[in-house]
Amino acid sequence: MHLHDFVPASLHWSQRLGRAPGLVRTLRYLQCKTPNSKPGTGLCAPEPPRGSGSPKLSPISSDNPGRPPLQPGARSAGVKTPNGLPTMIVPNEHRPEGLYLPDFCNLRMVLAMVVAAELLAYVLSLSSAPGGAGRRWDGLIMTSLFVQWVALASIALLCACRRLMEGWRDTTTTTLYSFGLVLAVTVVVSEAAYWGGAYLGLFPMGEGGWHGGFLIRNLTISAIVTTVALRYFYVQFQLKKNIQAEAYARIQALQARVRPHFLFNSMNTIASLTRSDPALAEEVVEDLADLFRVNLADARTRVPLEEELALTRRYLHIEQLRLGARLTIEEHTSDAPRDAAIPMLTIQPLVENAVYHGIEPLPQGGVVRLEARRDGDGNIVITVANPQPPAEVIRRPGNRLALDNLRQRLGVHFGGRATLTVDDTTGRYVATLALPYEKAGS
Amino acid sequence: MRLIIADDEGPARARLRGLVEEIGGVEVVADAGNGRQALLLCDELHPDVVLLDIRMPGMDGMEAARHMAGLEPAPAVIFTTAYSEHALAAFDAHAIDYLLKPVRKARLAQALAKAQRLTSVQLGAVARAAEGTVRHRTHISARHGGRIKLVEVTDVDYFQAGDKYVSVHYGGGELLIDEPLKALEEEFSQRFVRIHRGILAARDMITGLEKDSQGHYHVLLKDRHRLPVSRRHVSALRALVRAGRIGT
Repeated sequence: MHLHDFVPASLHWSQRLGRAPGLVRTLRYLQCKTPNSKPGTGLCAPEPPRGSGSPKLSPISSDNPGRPPLQPGARSAGVKTPNGLPTMIVPNEHRPEGLYLPDFCNLRMVLAMVVAAELLAYVLSLSSAPGGAGRRWDGLIMTSLFVQWVALASIALLCACRRLMEGWRDTTTTTLYSFGLVLAVTVVVSEAAYWGGAYLGLFPMGEGGWHGGFLIRNLTISAIVTTVALRYFYVQFQLKKNIQAEAYARIQALQARVRPHFLFNSMNTIASLTRSDPALAEEVVEDLADLFRVNLADARTRVPLEEELALTRRYLHIEQLRLGARLTIEEHTSDAPRDAAIPMLTIQPLVENAVYHGIEPLPQGGVVRLEARRDGDGNIVITVANPQPPAEVIRRPGNRLALDNLRQRLGVHFGGRATLTVDDTTGRYVATLALPYEKAGS
Repeated sequence: MRLIIADDEGPARARLRGLVEEIGGVEVVADAGNGRQALLLCDELHPDVVLLDIRMPGMDGMEAARHMAGLEPAPAVIFTTAYSEHALAAFDAHAIDYLLKPVRKARLAQALAKAQRLTSVQLGAVARAAEGTVRHRTHISARHGGRIKLVEVTDVDYFQAGDKYVSVHYGGGELLIDEPLKALEEEFSQRFVRIHRGILAARDMITGLEKDSQGHYHVLLKDRHRLPVSRRHVSALRALVRAGRIGT
């Protein structure tokens, strides 16, 4: 038995769905390596720190050429499932908040800092040195020397302290520590420059003598620049974290909405029908495509009730082929207004639940009854009923999750005006959804 | 080679049958729609290989495979599944093979060839290694008059340990099985409670606890049967009665 025999199908299906354009874009952001690797987006953070649990995202081309794209986080984070397969990207939950600084031990980071320091030196020399080009040139050289010393020494110390910082939970400690460290370096380098300059007879900044003034001026510049830099790193870190969390949430939402078993069983049905009844196979492919299109669409969309019912019928069509005589469907929806606005994927998941928990575990199958009507208050009431398998049948997990997901989305759409209740006291499992009647498109 | 296909979905069975016929050299002797049916067919037809879907209603593929291990001769079991879950990862070391649906013809041919190479002795060893992968069986199986006999766990009133065997008392009679009471207690702790050194009784069969004139305790079963209770189990049983967990 070779593991690779199973790898393709064992990868979580959402990894494949990751090829949806929106997700690709999101994940691309996560792959950005340096600020200049993706000009124009402004979203690429510097090299992420090397902290434990933080996915270090590397460009796919150089690092892992043999792998399909879109699993970079999984691979580089070193997260493996028990069977050795990569898992999905996990957000930086374990990375301490205090560790928002980039990894200064990284050579690329050092290079970026050297460039930044040089730019700073240039700005300083431009502003401080009036007079001829020659004098300005001299000033730039001296300022560069000074700034580079401060920058490189600070980086070296921050790199050395990284282990220590990994243990810190809060941002304040890290900030104060790094800030103090850079100022201390500034003092040491200033002193060295002052006394060295005096000894060699060339005063560093080209200005006359008060020792204290020199020190204060350097410390002020250093403090301002350090503050700006720390703020920049912090914002970058937050941004990156948010993007990761968003991508993760989106993947999770997808996982919650489509059951992998349904996907692969449907594929199997199609494979079977392709031989025996190609025309029917074609229909199933169309139904499946519609289901996935809706699943990949923005979950906030509202559609007319009619459309949601049509989607539910497509889903049931697939299940009917799969389960045959075990699945009996009763639909009574003609009394409900067809044009009622309803959030996408509200009825279909309820029906999917009914099939998954109520029909599939029963050898003899049963009836799924779908009803839609208007009640006395003018609300739309939808009920989905299915047989309740006996307690001895091992209950399948995941029902609560699907219902919670749906409740949450109903809350977003209707506030407290929509309700989803479940009654399992009668021997049948009945889910009832009540929504205010609002016309679609208004 | 003779083969049985077990899957609860018609199209899935049809496809496997088609593939097997194309591969050739294998005769499909029966189709089954669930694990229980597959097991009974195996007992009757003695196939060499069973293509067994893992997720089936009633008795699932994992449990069916466990019962099949007790058949003589035991068939080679090849699992099929639509989606590999973690349980499978733990299992794969013991399986003859497992195939992911939609099954590829080449993989199926490879698995069938592998099954053909294995002797029944090896099969028995593999099947025994697979034991313990099922958490709770839904059926108790025993050989009875040369045939396999299946009793649903929910039908069992109590297990009583004898000299060599454990006897299973159920609605339809009595059956001898070769399993230690201790293992049964662990597997079915949700459903059965130990009332005596040698007796496990179904919780929902017990209607009450009573003490006779000599100070011996007994439990009363729904069918008016009385079973002895050992002294050391009395307090635990009392607690269960008080908590409403038994004796309803």
